[in-house]
Amino acid sequence: MKRTLPQSLALYSGLLLVFLIIGMPFWWVVTGSIKVPREIIARVPTMFPQSFTTQHFEKLFQSTDFPAYLVNSIGVALFSTVITVALALPAAYAFFRMRFPGRDTLYRLILLAYAFPTIVVLIPIYGLFAKVGLIDTRTSLVIVNVAFALPFSIWMMRSFLSTVPKEIEEAAIIDGAPARVILLRIMAPLIAPGIASVAIFTFIASWTEYLFASVLIVSDVRRTVPVGFAGIIGQYQIDWGLLLAGATAATIPVVILFAFVGRWFVSGLTEGAVK
Amino acid sequence: MTNPRLAFLFVTPALLFLAAVLGWPLLEAVVLSFQNVGVIGTTGSWVGLDNYAKVIGSAGFWNSFGRSALWVVANAVVQTFMALGVALLLNQKFPGVRIARTWIILTWIVPTVVVVIIWRWLLSSSGGMVNPLLIQAGVIDRPVGFFATRESAMATLVMINSWRWFPFTALMMLAGLTRIPGDLYEAARIDGASAMKRFTRITWPLLQPTLLVLGIVGTLLSFNVFDVIWLLTAGGPSQATQTLPVLIYETAFKGYRLSEAATISVLTSILLMAFALLATRAMTASEEAR
Amino acid sequence: MKARLLTIAGLASILMGSTAFAEPVSLTLWHMEQPPHRVQRMQELLDEFNKAHPDVQVKQEPQSWGEIYAKAPAAFAAGTGPDMLFAIPDFTTVIKGIDAVVPVDDLAKDLEAKHGFVPATIAPYQYDGHTWAIPAYNMAISMWFRNSALKAAGVEVPKTWTEWKAVAEKLSTDGRYGVGLPANKQLYTDQTVYALMVNGGAADIYKEDGSISFDTPETVASLQAYGDLQKLSPPDSTSWTWGEAEACFASASCGTILQFSVINTYETQAEADAADLGVAPVPHSDDQSKSGTISYSNAIMLTTKDEAKQAGAKVFLAWLLEPANYGRFLTMEPGLFLPVTNDGAKAESFWSDKVVTKYKSQVETMIANSQNGKLFGFTTGKVFPSIGAISGQNVIAESLQKMVVDGQSAAEAAKFGQARMSEIAGK
Repeated sequence: MKRTLPQSLALYSGLLLVFLIIGMPFWWVVTGSIKVPREIIARVPTMFPQSFTTQHFEKLFQSTDFPAYLVNSIGVALFSTVITVALALPAAYAFFRMRFPGRDTLYRLILLAYAFPTIVVLIPIYGLFAKVGLIDTRTSLVIVNVAFALPFSIWMMRSFLSTVPKEIEEAAIIDGAPARVILLRIMAPLIAPGIASVAIFTFIASWTEYLFASVLIVSDVRRTVPVGFAGIIGQYQIDWGLLLAGATAATIPVVILFAFVGRWFVSGLTEGAVK
Repeated sequence: MTNPRLAFLFVTPALLFLAAVLGWPLLEAVVLSFQNVGVIGTTGSWVGLDNYAKVIGSAGFWNSFGRSALWVVANAVVQTFMALGVALLLNQKFPGVRIARTWIILTWIVPTVVVVIIWRWLLSSSGGMVNPLLIQAGVIDRPVGFFATRESAMATLVMINSWRWFPFTALMMLAGLTRIPGDLYEAARIDGASAMKRFTRITWPLLQPTLLVLGIVGTLLSFNVFDVIWLLTAGGPSQATQTLPVLIYETAFKGYRLSEAATISVLTSILLMAFALLATRAMTASEEAR
Repeated sequence: MKARLLTIAGLASILMGSTAFAEPVSLTLWHMEQPPHRVQRMQELLDEFNKAHPDVQVKQEPQSWGEIYAKAPAAFAAGTGPDMLFAIPDFTTVIKGIDAVVPVDDLAKDLEAKHGFVPATIAPYQYDGHTWAIPAYNMAISMWFRNSALKAAGVEVPKTWTEWKAVAEKLSTDGRYGVGLPANKQLYTDQTVYALMVNGGAADIYKEDGSISFDTPETVASLQAYGDLQKLSPPDSTSWTWGEAEACFASASCGTILQFSVINTYETQAEADAADLGVAPVPHSDDQSKSGTISYSNAIMLTTKDEAKQAGAKVFLAWLLEPANYGRFLTMEPGLFLPVTNDGAKAESFWSDKVVTKYKSQVETMIANSQNGKLFGFTTGKVFPSIGAISGQNVIAESLQKMVVDGQSAAEAAKFGQARMSEIAGK
């Protein structure tokens, strides 16, 4: 199992390449956000900052509602995640284990949700939400995010469930445990890493959603990070420093979040469950 | 387990939710496609199949369809290639592999709008890093415009979109790789199979189901990509990057022909559904074959 | 019996009237001045107004130009639209098309008498027998350069296209670009191309009867001149919006650019040496004698059917255009927004701004240029609804891309534009 020298060389140079491809743009953005404006747009760009200023961040946090955007984004993403998991888990279990008329048709129908250009439902959804008074509420975003994340979540959870050995479940059934108990007490803990991946997927999808948030939200204080960020781009003038500070500030919260839960996402995907 | 009533109890909340938030609006879009509504919010009259005749007969629709197909295929090829490479790397054992596996996803957790701004700046000729780097490396001898020609605009968009998505794809593949039993490799090694042979005989065939699923989901996901294209090129230059979602948005919100946009959406959906149905059938077939 | 009913009705109306009076009218204003410092200035003004007018309370909701074309019609259809909405002329035609805008004829007349509108700013909003919005600020494209760079190259400020090209070639040295003109499928490109069209005698894209007259020798010549200059622009100019052009100028990579204003960027991101910043009218074709430009009169529409709200909004608009307040409104982006009224152009509140004071001569030139401003689709006194879609889909920019990207001739590009616009106009 020892690697030969060329093999090691290939491995580490490959890793370095990937590191550069992913890391360099972020390095430039983060270092750019502390450069003075003249250096940001300099004709000959600098790899390492030659100047230091916090003016962009000061402007970002003093004159925009960025903190509010952050709170909104996190709130919307959290609620979307919880509701998605709560809806997807039983549905996935039913599709996976239970027999009922129309099961296969319904399952396919759910996956077909991705066969529609999302833009097409934008206007009807706006009309629908207006009728029930949901325009300019964060609830509307939660509803949309859940709807878009559900099909994929059901599908992922179903495949995680399929990794659970049938014997474990059968033992519980013989013991006479009701389906609710089997799902919550036996299956859910077994596929916990899988549930974590689904949750993180939903969280990120909600965190990055732009199109619907830009149309459904009207007031500045209810905007999410992507829309608030788009707002500081401005029409006739671009303040690159402010944008880079915004890009940095929009990245840091998810990076912090990922520092805590990131490994769950990966282990959930890769381990899925006990095999 | 046979208990239809309980099963429905489990499935109904999710289904109702989807029906209300996606199903109902979709029906409204279908209704719109048989009318002649212009600006959003106005009313129109019934025009039967006129919109369909117009859209199917227009070169614009089919050109966009072709560009969407190119977009999906190019993204699939680039992302599969990059992601498979990364997945194979991350499937090795080396110090820091866990950290690498976690942080590879960095590009995917950043909002698209931010990704767009990052690249707009990096590719620009004022302050952008990419041109000077390429000049230094000797790839080019003077700054180039990444969105200047039809081909390079499409290629640049594919690269930016792939940059955002390939780590996600890589992790999904890594998941597939870790499910391949290690003893298979052990046995092959004992038989003296070369690394190349191990890849073509074990890894590649056993990865097929994962790749198939990723192919289907990835196709649908990347087909729907709108914001990256819209915010960077708005379908230009000279319509070179006007994929179907861009065409739909432009027709509805810039050209004020809502019904026509709905018609394009319906036709697009039919095409995508046909693809998804065929693909899921192939998927179930391969599942049953196993 | 009848008398009693009348009394009750009278009482009721008094009661309701008084509650309506006691209850302040609250108004929502949507504008697209989203950069934080503009929102801040707007809020200062609103706070002041709300304090002085307890019966009318205005609150702002900044939106973005990127989405407003989709958002506003949807919002009006759903009954969640604002009471006042900022506009540019083509956007007004869209909102008028869905019957969401209310004419402001009387208010316009009053304000005209009081302040005197610059004719070019209110004309694009006057058609079909009504005035559809009250002008708020003007923007016009000028040519920007550095005096020192021109001097070093030994050239004068260009007045014609031929001179401009010669200057641009002189300035193109050492990795710098003599000119920065965009060729993106985007509004900025519409604006810069049209700025040349105005200067080439091709200002009218509609004929009197609403048919398109884009494919003219004048348009072809203008496109040709633009295309020639564009060749001297940075390679990434095919994806430029306003910000990239400004950055190119601020970093001294671009010698001359067409822009509404670079003052703010120049002040904060470049040398900030007021004496060196040059501004001049957009050069004209060799056979013209005078320079014109493209100007955007931004205005405020009344978009509520409620009469009490309309009355309140009129109070607000009148207040905003009072010289004492108006200058502070304009200087929410100092050196970009230009006055639309005659007394606004003299207002102390405008000229006392720090940045405006520093760049006084530049601002004066900008104001002078803006007086000769025109806007495509709004030049003949007749406005056709298809201008919304022509503008929305950036057909002028698209035509240019036929040349710049696809290598077609100027004549072919003009022909393409003519066909595309005619298709949209349905004529």
